[in-house]
Amino acid sequence: MQTRRTLIKTAAFGTGAVALSSCERTISELSKALGQTVPEKMVLPEGAAIDPEFHLLSRAAYGPWPGDLERVKSMGRQAWIEEQLEPDHINDQVCDLRARRFESLFVSAGDAYEFKKPMLRDELTRHALLRSIYSQRQLFEVMVEFWTDHLNIDLEKGDCIYLKPSDDRDVIRRHALGNFHDLIRASATSPAMLVYLDGKSNKVRKGRDDKPNENYARELMELHTLGVHGGYSQTDVREAARCLSGWTYDIKRIFALHRGDSYFRPEWHDDGAKTVLGHAIPSGGGEQDLDRLVKIVCSHPSTAMFVAKKLCIRFVSHTPPLAFVGRVAAEFTRTGGDIKAMLRLILNSDEFMASPGQLLKRPFRFMVAALRAVAADTHVHGSALRHSTGPLTEYLGRMGHGLFQYPTPDGYPDAEMPWMGTLMWRWNFALSLASQSLGGVSVPMAELEKAIGRQGGRDAVASRWWSHLVGRRPGADELKALAVAAQEHSGNGNARTAKAELLGVMLASPAFQRC
Amino acid sequence: MPTSPVLSQLLVSTSSAVENASKHTLVCVFLRGGADTLNLVVPFADDHYYNTRPSLAVKAPGLDPDCAIKLDEHYAFHPAMKPLEAAFKDGRLGLLQGVGTDSTSGSHFECQDQMEHGDSEKARPAGGGWLGRFLRSRVAQSTSPLSAVAIGTKLPESLRGAPSVSVLEHLDDVAIKAPSGDPAAVMGALRAMYGADVSLLGQRGQQTLDLFNRMTALRNQLYLPANDADYPKHGFGEGLRELARLIKAGVGLEVACININGWDSHFFQGTTVGGFAANAKVLAEGLAAFETDLKALRSRYTVIVMTEFGRRIYENASLGTDHGRGFTFMALGDKVNGGRILGGWPIGAMDETNPLGPGGVDIKHDFRDVFAEVLRGAMGEVDAAKIFPGAGLASVGLMG
Repeated sequence: MQTRRTLIKTAAFGTGAVALSSCERTISELSKALGQTVPEKMVLPEGAAIDPEFHLLSRAAYGPWPGDLERVKSMGRQAWIEEQLEPDHINDQVCDLRARRFESLFVSAGDAYEFKKPMLRDELTRHALLRSIYSQRQLFEVMVEFWTDHLNIDLEKGDCIYLKPSDDRDVIRRHALGNFHDLIRASATSPAMLVYLDGKSNKVRKGRDDKPNENYARELMELHTLGVHGGYSQTDVREAARCLSGWTYDIKRIFALHRGDSYFRPEWHDDGAKTVLGHAIPSGGGEQDLDRLVKIVCSHPSTAMFVAKKLCIRFVSHTPPLAFVGRVAAEFTRTGGDIKAMLRLILNSDEFMASPGQLLKRPFRFMVAALRAVAADTHVHGSALRHSTGPLTEYLGRMGHGLFQYPTPDGYPDAEMPWMGTLMWRWNFALSLASQSLGGVSVPMAELEKAIGRQGGRDAVASRWWSHLVGRRPGADELKALAVAAQEHSGNGNARTAKAELLGVMLASPAFQRC
Repeated sequence: MPTSPVLSQLLVSTSSAVENASKHTLVCVFLRGGADTLNLVVPFADDHYYNTRPSLAVKAPGLDPDCAIKLDEHYAFHPAMKPLEAAFKDGRLGLLQGVGTDSTSGSHFECQDQMEHGDSEKARPAGGGWLGRFLRSRVAQSTSPLSAVAIGTKLPESLRGAPSVSVLEHLDDVAIKAPSGDPAAVMGALRAMYGADVSLLGQRGQQTLDLFNRMTALRNQLYLPANDADYPKHGFGEGLRELARLIKAGVGLEVACININGWDSHFFQGTTVGGFAANAKVLAEGLAAFETDLKALRSRYTVIVMTEFGRRIYENASLGTDHGRGFTFMALGDKVNGGRILGGWPIGAMDETNPLGPGGVDIKHDFRDVFAEVLRGAMGEVDAAKIFPGAGLASVGLMG
């Protein structure tokens, strides 16, 4: 909520923040002063079934921050969705305080080479984590993650680590809630993608026996647009590779104003006539061939279904009804690829509202949701050398969800099975977070206890904590299980440890693994 | 005071300790990305190899350290595969040419999935992974929570449907870090909640708790590989070392899966220098160290090495190779009829204009027949028809 007072505070602190921007502790204090904290009292879900606004926040955001539930209830779901669909109109200065400090992410691709790899890796991950935890533009961040998976880039290949920051900014973030055609067009000539899928070496030189490099052409169709069963042939892949030939990237170019940009080399382009998916592309098209190709693949009917299905799987169900996917695909086609239109349809649909608690949170979502639910503060205790998100990135890796590290272009999967082998790491993360032993991350336990309320017996308190975290009251069996966690400590002195173990067990519960 | 959950689990596990100690372990190494096995097991006696790979071909056997290491009259090892030369000469390492799936997609994900599922492109999926089906077929015999282990962070498709799978990187990491120092209360609560959940999540949660109990029993001091075995400093080497520990501990490990990534060499593959060579070195050094470490237990395991497809016989304009079809399958162990390279000579390859796999090596042996033969030869009584429905079940003499 943006009052005039808060605006003035922000402006006044803004300059101060820039000057002191190397000190994390100042940032966390500023953030609290600007409202990023736990409210005095919280509205808690009452029913046995998952609260509908809680459900919306669990999928369209990374779960509720304390106080979010009340806000969504008062403005209504539809209004909140519309607000989230206009991220530029949402004031995100408090998040910017935390997340806008990474120099390496705001420079051009060429200048990114001046930074060391470990720093780039670290800053990319910390930035993504901080945005997801603290941004008010939650749906935007959820879609940034979605497209990052869809247009996967592995930092460990070649120069990708220097090129992903600009890809994240200029491709993913620029178009996450924009138009799908624009997103694919931007990705096709993104230096990161040209390196990752070998587009930069896709050359067909005159008079030589060059065979085009088919890697990107194949993944463009198989993974980014039509999907593997979308109805393209191996010949289409080859013809597409011919269209794409000549687009390249070379950081070592001499006499170039913007060495970090991708560019077109006519002498590397196969300028003959081509046919892709039944569309004839006349010879002499030059660099326009890529634009034509993007239009052809994005407009193919299989693409609408493929993208719609992926969105439905991410937001609604692992087995979305075909008719529902069809409606979303129709919206894609009707609007020429408008991402907001599809999201509006999905989030306001009966199918979406009927699906609470049916998806498994992937590790990144699980971690961010846990941090948001307890209003965690990631800050460094003094030393500027300690990266406060260090333990977070380590746990993400162990849970198999290290950001920007998926080795193949299909990106991190949405299915449940691949994530089932690492439950122990989720549990240990939950216990560490709850007991304040994740280095640099603190949980405002006293404020949370106050807001949730200390009244009533042990079961009443546990019940309210559970509601806050899971979106519904615990069942009788769940309460009994929680009592087991609390029980063995009675008489064992340390009340703080007991509370920590109880909170940890709730975050480790099967119910919290779901959304 | 009631028995703590940890103690009661230990009582259940030890009753089948004798059975577990004698289980044979199948270690499946997957080279992800489509490994260019043509440059691992080099057909130096075929001129066509040198004609189609002017830059990428490995030199024929000779005095240079860059030259291939002669295996027989037709084939030689990439020099980085030297650590496995002894195993081949001892008859423990067998090689089979022209293995592959009938997938014509050329897609990593399709082919990996198809291979891990043990399916044919033409038939309905058999359901789950081939190793999952194998373990399910043994479920009548006691299966320990550690019957299947995948090294890494992700459940592999091949183990989909297995009664229990544990995904881990290091044995020592496997413990519940309860704030109070005593995990009993936390484990009791989690046991109650995951036990009441009838979905996959509930099952996996309970299996994870079982695993914790088992690992508590296994945890001890610093582990020293036997016979000075020197595992390469790489995820693959470290993973193999942990598998060796599990095999020595006799916990009933029947199937282990481990990967080496990064074989998709479309671009600047290199011959004896570069990414491909580095990967080959890791593979060879890792397996050699594993054999050394487990010298006293050679009868207890079989290692197989596979990839989703080989690569084309010709190099592309970026001095790399694109997706092909057939590859060289490797099997290592006491039960392997090794020291030979099966698969006929010369290697046939598809015409460059063949849309089903231009320049790809001909597939003479469906991978399902090969996997079935390995299972029968290494794991005893196996209902191969159930695990690979519709497969020919032909044998090539790879297993002794």
